[in-house]
Amino acid sequence: MNKIMFNKHYTEIESDYFANSAEILKASGKYLLGIVAADERSINSKFSIRYFFGGTDGGGIEEYCVKTDESFRSISKICPSAKMYEREIYDLFGLLPEGHPDLRPLMLYPENWDSSVHPLRKDYNGVIHEMKKYGGYKFKEVLGEGIFNVLVGPVHAGIIEPGHFRFSLAGEPVLQLEIRHFWKHRGIEKLCEGKDFNEALGIISKISGDNSVNISISYLEAAESILNIEITERAKYIRVILAELERIWNYVRDVAWIFMDIGFALPAQNLFALQEELMRLNKNLSGHRFLFNSLTLGGVNFDMDSRKLKEIEDMVNKVENIIKDSEEFILSSSSVLDRLEFTGKINKKTAEELSLCGISARASELKRDTRAEFPYLIYGRLNLKPVILDGGDVFARTALRIKEIYLSKKIISDLSSNMPEGNIAVSCESKPEAFGYAVGNSETSRGNAFFYIMADDKGKIFRLKYIDPSFRIWPSIQYGVLGNIIADFPLINKSLNLSYAGNDM
Amino acid sequence: MFLKKLLFKNKTQDIAPESGEGSVLIKGDELKLLVDKVFGRSLFVRLVDSGSCNACETELAALSNPYYDLERFGIKFVASPKHADILMVTGCLTRNMLNPLLKTYENIPSPKFVITVGDCAETGGPFKDSYSVCGPVSKYLNAAVHVKGCPPEPKAVISAFLKLMDILKSGKQEKLPD
Ligand code: SF4
Repeated sequence: MNKIMFNKHYTEIESDYFANSAEILKASGKYLLGIVAADERSINSKFSIRYFFGGTDGGGIEEYCVKTDESFRSISKICPSAKMYEREIYDLFGLLPEGHPDLRPLMLYPENWDSSVHPLRKDYNGVIHEMKKYGGYKFKEVLGEGIFNVLVGPVHAGIIEPGHFRFSLAGEPVLQLEIRHFWKHRGIEKLCEGKDFNEALGIISKISGDNSVNISISYLEAAESILNIEITERAKYIRVILAELERIWNYVRDVAWIFMDIGFALPAQNLFALQEELMRLNKNLSGHRFLFNSLTLGGVNFDMDSRKLKEIEDMVNKVENIIKDSEEFILSSSSVLDRLEFTGKINKKTAEELSLCGISARASELKRDTRAEFPYLIYGRLNLKPVILDGGDVFARTALRIKEIYLSKKIISDLSSNMPEGNIAVSCESKPEAFGYAVGNSETSRGNAFFYIMADDKGKIFRLKYIDPSFRIWPSIQYGVLGNIIADFPLINKSLNLSYAGNDM
Repeated sequence: MFLKKLLFKNKTQDIAPESGEGSVLIKGDELKLLVDKVFGRSLFVRLVDSGSCNACETELAALSNPYYDLERFGIKFVASPKHADILMVTGCLTRNMLNPLLKTYENIPSPKFVITVGDCAETGGPFKDSYSVCGPVSKYLNAAVHVKGCPPEPKAVISAFLKLMDILKSGKQEKLPD
């Protein structure tokens, strides 16, 4: 059992010993990709805590597995990015991370959950407790003369997902921001347990709708490797084209929102119109504006003939032209630059400590792009050079998106002129090995999407864990806003444009 | 230069998609007349996402792009429930969002109407069996109109406003919520 399907580095390790070695791992330039807990008591009468590290030379992922009964040593003080994962494990499994600095409940709000409920334990009996107040949540207060708090959300002004933000201010500058998320916790990981791999894809594609394709790709990477399915070249090409199209429309929208939030409605609407055209292209290609249901286990659901490829090619050329205009406008307008530069700066050191990924990492000098770090589909052959900038501010994140639109455009143009022949899907009869597991990775428009999947002995999903890039990046906003005026918060928030749905799961 | 170019070149609104129900523009004109008549020229909407995948929100945000430009019909998404006539709800309704949803509803002055948007809001969608979902929305609020789709396209949402106006005009919504 427990065949390691994806990499060469697997170590089983004692919890105490691992807490000490985490420091060495970090010192050698590795960073925490994620922590995955599972209730494996039915297999080996233990819980497992798996730590995944990236950043090794040669691009592999290292896995350290701790087996435990009811508690494990926290590594939050060494790797601050572990904090949220450990809180999550405490919530959903009831396993105690010893020495954790902050064990307040995360997803199961004491305002409506009894603290004895741990839904991801296999012996959770499914009893849903009555909706009533079981306890309260304590926020971190900042005290002092003249300090006041501004509370925002969960229901926001505008068409935004729910989240609660608490600013402590002295005058205009922000002294502290505390975020409370997980309002939209939908319990997706538990929902997937016991489902077969195809059924689960239907749920996975709706984790975060605007990144449906890229998240599904990550899931399929893991699922297909468990099931030993090798998809055709043509299917890989189509997946990559769809993934890049999704990235482009996301970036176009993100840049539009930046314009909107600094009061430049005209250039913003220009890009919103472009986003609409990209979504209509999606609909022409797949029948769905968000490309839902485009991918399937073993391939893709529709082919791309030369007419469709031509349509895509025309569109991405148009995007390139319009974005070029926007870029010129940004660079030549001092009132735009004035708002973007030095706003919401996330230092390289902060980005490192929080194990950031995606745009937020690359704008702060970290070379993290899943397409180059852990290449999947055909990205390994494309020799991508991740775009890296060093400002760490709203400007850097905006500029990065613009540059990456050009990159995605180039990928699409290259691939569509070289489409290999072949089928778009292969049949998938194979059964997974009992309790075999695998991980999958992909780069969404926000950063690395990570899946861990273990099959059970009946060919269904035993445990599924998804880590959204937003889950990693949200805490960084709390640092990015420090010292900025509160009026700049919406802009800083939009420059990261994180998903609440993906974070809350 | 760039701004000038934008001002004079854009002609998006005439590209309204043709569909069985007519183009957005025609639908919109009809809608404008009704909003003028029924709601004194302004219909204000407050959105609550009760646990969506965010595609529903993306489509609602798209209603403000130059292709649809909802505001030209007198319909506006507002920041405060106190300003709103309509509560629009997306998502499967999670346990954590139940309270904020009901509080928002309470804070909308009467007469008020609920429009639910997307399959999740109607049935809970793929999330309905989860431990942390207490929806669908209909368990707690009566919707005057529901917009089907996963997610519903912008023009379907515009149709829903029309439908609501029709209901109100013809007095079919006999029992107005308190
Ligand atoms: S109805 Fe569909 S698009 Fe809307 S929130 Fe639910 S899954 Fe997402």
